[in-house]
Amino acid sequence: MTTSPFDVNSLVPGQILATLDKGVISTAHIMRWSAAVENFHRIHYDHAFATGHDKLPGILINGSWKQHVLVQLVKVSLGSEGWLWRLRFRYKKMDLAGDALRAVSQVVGARTMGDLVFITLAVQLVNHLGEISTAGHAIGVLPAHPGVRVPYPFVPQDVHREIDFPQDD
Amino acid sequence: MAATSADFERYVGLRGPLKRAHGPLERDALRRFVQAIMDKDPLHHDLDMALAGPYGELVAPPLYPVHAFRNPAHGPDPLMSVQEDPDADGTFGNDGVYFGLEPIASPFKRLLNGGNDIEFFRCLAVGEWCTAQARYANVLLKEGKNGQILLVDIETEFRVDGADLLLINRQTLIWR
Repeated sequence: MTTSPFDVNSLVPGQILATLDKGVISTAHIMRWSAAVENFHRIHYDHAFATGHDKLPGILINGSWKQHVLVQLVKVSLGSEGWLWRLRFRYKKMDLAGDALRAVSQVVGARTMGDLVFITLAVQLVNHLGEISTAGHAIGVLPAHPGVRVPYPFVPQDVHREIDFPQDD
Repeated sequence: MAATSADFERYVGLRGPLKRAHGPLERDALRRFVQAIMDKDPLHHDLDMALAGPYGELVAPPLYPVHAFRNPAHGPDPLMSVQEDPDADGTFGNDGVYFGLEPIASPFKRLLNGGNDIEFFRCLAVGEWCTAQARYANVLLKEGKNGQILLVDIETEFRVDGADLLLINRQTLIWR
């Protein structure tokens, strides 16, 4: 089992905490996802339907897939001792088959409450052109001291709800 | 005729039925799922690592429950619609994020996803059944730059068989 990949006391706002490269997402990747979750919407595999019927520029990468990439990004960012408590995001533009996608997390801030540290991250999905297609924030929970564990299941105390997403989110 | 706020008041707070996944989380379904999201975390596939890990069991990724409700064998075949109608989009029988909520009657045709706000409590483990119940947390008619828009907030609670909370997904839909 790995531990948190950083010292929570040394976090600096703006610091990139993790990146997750998914590479080029092909129609085969999209098909695999659509089959796994049994989403048979034709905009995700039928080029003629997507471009002709729905007037889209190509086969669409599923938003439902992209949200799991953000979750994975935060998991990787926090390490195995952390817990992803909250995630808020919006889709800003479409991603199409053939786009290469990378997820990036950046430190916004951290606050210690008792034995726990709450870390706020900015999270983004960026394509190979540098365009941000999905963006938002996450709040993760980490132990504040060695030997402490984040309670699991994580049921936040009322005082924890003082910690919220940035106002501009 | 323009819509009025009164047209939508009755939906606020309206709950859908308690939906139960057609089966418990199976290890092979989890394998397919994590392969599809390209997540090699051993907590999702390696029993020994999972037992020694922070959750003490094989678990799905935190957001998995929103996809736990697939078609039962006796349910509607979404692809039958494609055979019958060449313009069908393939989503027949799938109510998406509504989880059985009564559809909102409105004159709006275009739908945009306005974003998600999700709170996680624990992961669904292999062998556990997932349930979901959605409600309209807010339905708000607004005047936009190009006419009226309807903002619909759906809050869905996912639990382990109606008990322990897994996550709460608050999703905003924008109808134009």
